[in-house]
Amino acid sequence: MFRKFALLTMAFGLTFMIGCGIVSPAESSAPTHPQALEQGRPTCSDCHGTDQMKNTRKTFASFNHTPEFVANHKFPASQDPQTCAACHAQSFCADCHSGKTSMLPSTKLGNRPDRVSPHRTGYLTSHRIDGKIDPTSCFECHGRANNEKCTACHK
Amino acid sequence: MMRHSRLALLATLVTGTAMAQGVAVSTTTIAQSWKQDTPGFAQGSFTPVTELVGIDVTKIGGQDALSLHLYAWGRTDLADQSSIEGKNAGNFSYGYLQYDFRQANASIKAGRVTVNQGLGPVAMDGVEARTDLRYGFTASGFAGTPVIYKNLSDNPQNEITFQKNVMFGGRFAWRAPKQGEIGISYLQEGSSAAQSLTIPEPVDYTRRQLGADIRLIPCSFVDITGRTVLNVADHQEPTSTESPNRIAEHDYKATIKATDSLSLAGTYTERNFYAFFAGTTLPSLFNRDEQGMVKATGASVTWAALANLQLVADVRRADRTAYGVTTRAGGDFRYSLPDAHILAGAGYHKVNAFSTLSVVTPFPSYSLSHSEMRAWLMADRGPLSASLDVIRLHYSSPYSNANLAGQGIESAIVGSLGYKPKESLKVSGDLTIEDNPLFRKQAMGLVRVEYRFGFASKGGK
Repeated sequence: MFRKFALLTMAFGLTFMIGCGIVSPAESSAPTHPQALEQGRPTCSDCHGTDQMKNTRKTFASFNHTPEFVANHKFPASQDPQTCAACHAQSFCADCHSGKTSMLPSTKLGNRPDRVSPHRTGYLTSHRIDGKIDPTSCFECHGRANNEKCTACHK
Repeated sequence: MMRHSRLALLATLVTGTAMAQGVAVSTTTIAQSWKQDTPGFAQGSFTPVTELVGIDVTKIGGQDALSLHLYAWGRTDLADQSSIEGKNAGNFSYGYLQYDFRQANASIKAGRVTVNQGLGPVAMDGVEARTDLRYGFTASGFAGTPVIYKNLSDNPQNEITFQKNVMFGGRFAWRAPKQGEIGISYLQEGSSAAQSLTIPEPVDYTRRQLGADIRLIPCSFVDITGRTVLNVADHQEPTSTESPNRIAEHDYKATIKATDSLSLAGTYTERNFYAFFAGTTLPSLFNRDEQGMVKATGASVTWAALANLQLVADVRRADRTAYGVTTRAGGDFRYSLPDAHILAGAGYHKVNAFSTLSVVTPFPSYSLSHSEMRAWLMADRGPLSASLDVIRLHYSSPYSNANLAGQGIESAIVGSLGYKPKESLKVSGDLTIEDNPLFRKQAMGLVRVEYRFGFASKGGK
């Protein structure tokens, strides 16, 4: 028993020491953006030019909120979540990406037509068309959760 | 177990808040009202009231690094029941303690967190940690139990709960200075195979996914990003002649910045239903046995014609094995006048889609082709704000498509007025008027009260 405990302690200690040795010594980036930004989608390179963002090793320009960036934001959100967190609280993501939402994002954000939110208008009609064209677009939100209303018809 | 978790969370919230130096609370109360007269659905008058609460507690115990984040909502119906869940409903969306280390962008989150790896964000009760390593490497990992929502009747719901008993995975990546990143990730949800039940369940709700992602910026004007996800689970395969494709998804995008104001982008997406729909909690809708796929290619041109005017033209061609090809093409523009606090946009897209077989109408098939139009405007002046959103859809086969009941036009107008008497309080009201084939004419009202106190240095502009 004692031998097992000693071996486990040694293994943990060794892993811990190796882990500390390979962890980057760089200082963490600022948790929040130091200045307030103007309304609308930010263009990081306007202020930061071609500089490299600390820790992410990418340029600030690669986070410019262009239409392509917004449409494919799942990639930077997965690779650099801390960069998103510098400006966006988690609740910003939860407006749409929540396992179970209180209402359609487009209803909750009815006063924010600038924000991308699907299902504006009575989507019940259109979903029969969109679902046939590409059901994988429905799956990302409704495939594993948030599908109570789906089960009313799709049992 | 659930009760103990809630008590622990409540205790953490109370003690954490008491010891904190920074607390930001945002609450949004939304009261809605509409009448339902949709053919095929129960008629009713609905007035649900929803309360959404977000709490961010920072500098707990005086430490910059420790914070607590919570978000939840609850709804009650003052008139008829608006949801199949009952007259009262709610959800605890996320709630976690986070510790940020001063070094290596390392952080640990514990509680209900959202995991971004694998296919789509997914909620988990557990621990998630990440750190940067030397020489540009980075590592993250998570372990816990997936959050399961009650969607189905008791039997399949019990099967889901039984199978999705654990969740773990991680991501390991390497970053080259200014040139991008490559990463591999793994996600497993559930360890109890359906076959191990006393009475084997034909539907397997577990999933195991192995992913590879890339961000490549070989020069300042080229940016390539994307991922490939494989289904590596040992699921029972459908009874058919050929083995299903194990590639859940290829999703790639390349952007070329031709000039400071002009960029071109191309996308390629391939999703195989058998692998992509693995782990679904709604197999009757997301049918893995179909074994088909959607393959899509797209292109767009973005032109910042002026500093405050952006034009986008785009086209996307999607090919679904079982049905056929769809092309969606059109354009959008976005205009802003920051000094006047005005934002505006408009767009038009034409969707040329295949025909699908009719079941109940005398017509053998109907087309899914349609046009989409939208224009919107937002403005604010002092404490007042206003927005207008106009949407119109034209369907090509209103008479042969039984779903449209002869009505070829769908339209909606959403108008909103807001008043912000002070920085922490905003009251707004929305009125939606819709005319569509299912709802016919419908008006919906909404009153929204947003209140923030404490200080919030970020979040959802």
